[in-house]
Amino acid sequence: MQIQLNQLMPIPLQDKLRQRSSDIWNQDVTFQPGSFVKIKAPSGTGKTTLIHYLYHIRYDYTGKVQVNGRPWQAYNKNEIAVMRQKDISIVFQDLRLFEQLSARENISLKRVMELKPYYPAEKIDEMAARLNVSHVLEQSGKTLSYGERQRIAIIRALVQPFQWLLMDEPFSHLDEDNTQRAAALIADECKARNAGFILTDLDNDQHFPYDVHYHL
Amino acid sequence: MRPFFELLKKIIQTGVGKTRFLMAAVGLGIAMLLILIAIQAHSNFSQLLYSSKNQNETADFLVINKTITNAMMGQSSKSIFTREEIANIRKQPFVQSFGLVTSSQYKVVVQAPGDLHFATDMFFEAVPDSFLDVKGQDWKWSEGDRTIPIILPNDFLNLYNFGFSLSQDLPQISQETVKALPLQVNISNNQVSDQYMGHIVGFSDRISSFLVPASFMSWANEKYGITTAAGTSRVIIKTPDPSNPELVKFLQDNGYTTNQDKLKFSKTRLIVQTIVSVVGFFGLILLFFALLVFSMFIQLVIASCKREIQLLVILGTAPKQLQRYLLRQFVPLYIVIGILSLLLVTGLQYWAAGELAQHEMQVSTWPGVPVFAGIALVLGLVYIVNLLTVRKYVNNI
Repeated sequence: MQIQLNQLMPIPLQDKLRQRSSDIWNQDVTFQPGSFVKIKAPSGTGKTTLIHYLYHIRYDYTGKVQVNGRPWQAYNKNEIAVMRQKDISIVFQDLRLFEQLSARENISLKRVMELKPYYPAEKIDEMAARLNVSHVLEQSGKTLSYGERQRIAIIRALVQPFQWLLMDEPFSHLDEDNTQRAAALIADECKARNAGFILTDLDNDQHFPYDVHYHL
Repeated sequence: MRPFFELLKKIIQTGVGKTRFLMAAVGLGIAMLLILIAIQAHSNFSQLLYSSKNQNETADFLVINKTITNAMMGQSSKSIFTREEIANIRKQPFVQSFGLVTSSQYKVVVQAPGDLHFATDMFFEAVPDSFLDVKGQDWKWSEGDRTIPIILPNDFLNLYNFGFSLSQDLPQISQETVKALPLQVNISNNQVSDQYMGHIVGFSDRISSFLVPASFMSWANEKYGITTAAGTSRVIIKTPDPSNPELVKFLQDNGYTTNQDKLKFSKTRLIVQTIVSVVGFFGLILLFFALLVFSMFIQLVIASCKREIQLLVILGTAPKQLQRYLLRQFVPLYIVIGILSLLLVTGLQYWAAGELAQHEMQVSTWPGVPVFAGIALVLGLVYIVNLLTVRKYVNNI
């Protein structure tokens, strides 16, 4: 699945962004399938906004976000839902877990959203063990710490099939050791699917062997 | 249930306003019951009227004539049906078959034989044979026969036997005797007079007139007719249902009249129909309100889980999946309601059939096809309204 940006520009940030150069905003950019993409951006330059545009939950932009050659607007709600179940996965900066569900249920939700789950249920325990969150799986989303929530959100994003994984500061609440573990798991899962990811962060890092670097 | 729906159950709380929902469900049940009862009562009534098991109440013959009013007296032409009027009667939906009553255009005098000293002026009428309730081998006449078969109204003999003969100290006569009496029939016009033998072949309950075969009537009218084609002032119809309010209304509207006794059932039927309609109408009103409450309930559920539903959609839940899940929360209850109402109606029908059977009125023991169709229709309507509501509010999120 190819993602292409044409002259993309967030309307609220327009004036501010025109005064500085960017590799993404107002450019034509194509993200090649299967590539590991790092987008480095200082605060306030529209990191989260970009991720939301790519995932099509914000629409206040000029220019185009094209998926497989068609702009997002050309897909209907049910088609978009299918793509979010099969082609695009996401780790939100604000994580977005259901507080009324346990950690395991939050992950399962994405696993069983499709009629035929990509992974068996045991995979959740395996991934939780790798990220040191096995002990919180049965706790409700409400009682988890930020670091735990972040790892649950990462696992949730990895139990579904995808060709692209979008991540918005996915390690912001994790210590170095847990970051390494999470990054290794993400890299493994991407490779297993021949999938690529787009990761936004504030700084440079060596968590992944990135193919492309952009400055927002 | 799919594991995904089990998770949805924890996220989308359908518990809000549960009492309201249950009350709407009870309302739907009552509405369904009223509608089904109306349908079943209607088909029971039709069965009582039309089914072969209840033959006594069905098809009947009516002799129709214009009402003689004071204004018409002395003008016999005003009581005659015009060609258009006849065509109009003939084409009414309740007229199964139609015949003209032909009257004689000559003078008839009937004499009893021997020393009975009985002679009377009379008239003859004829109807097509298919309208007769008395048929026999003797009921035929062909040119050259000197014997005319005659059918008398049963009432006529009764009037004589129980009215006239008792007061005049005359002997009562049995039907057999009358049939055995050879009558002398004088037919005349102003020029000729001929004698024939009359032979009573039967007594009619259906037509109050002195009937001769149609073949004789047309021959005799031709031969002895004084006036040329006097026209028809009485017609006879066969109708599947003399209580049909349409028939009664038609007669009233056109100033026609018939044996009122045969129409008396009509009023009862009108009352029953009205009651059934009112019941059905209340059922429909109730159904409407039940649908309204269901729609509001669905709206409430979706509105109260708006954030959760938004997140589900963001995570990739298809609107279709949400619709299916939400409908699955409500539809089973509707089906249960449908089954319960069906059981109740079946019970009622079983009981009603038993009660009616004691009065020799046969209706089927089980609810008929219309009831099932009614259930399907109501459930279908409820489902569609639910589906549209769910779709509307899910898509608006």
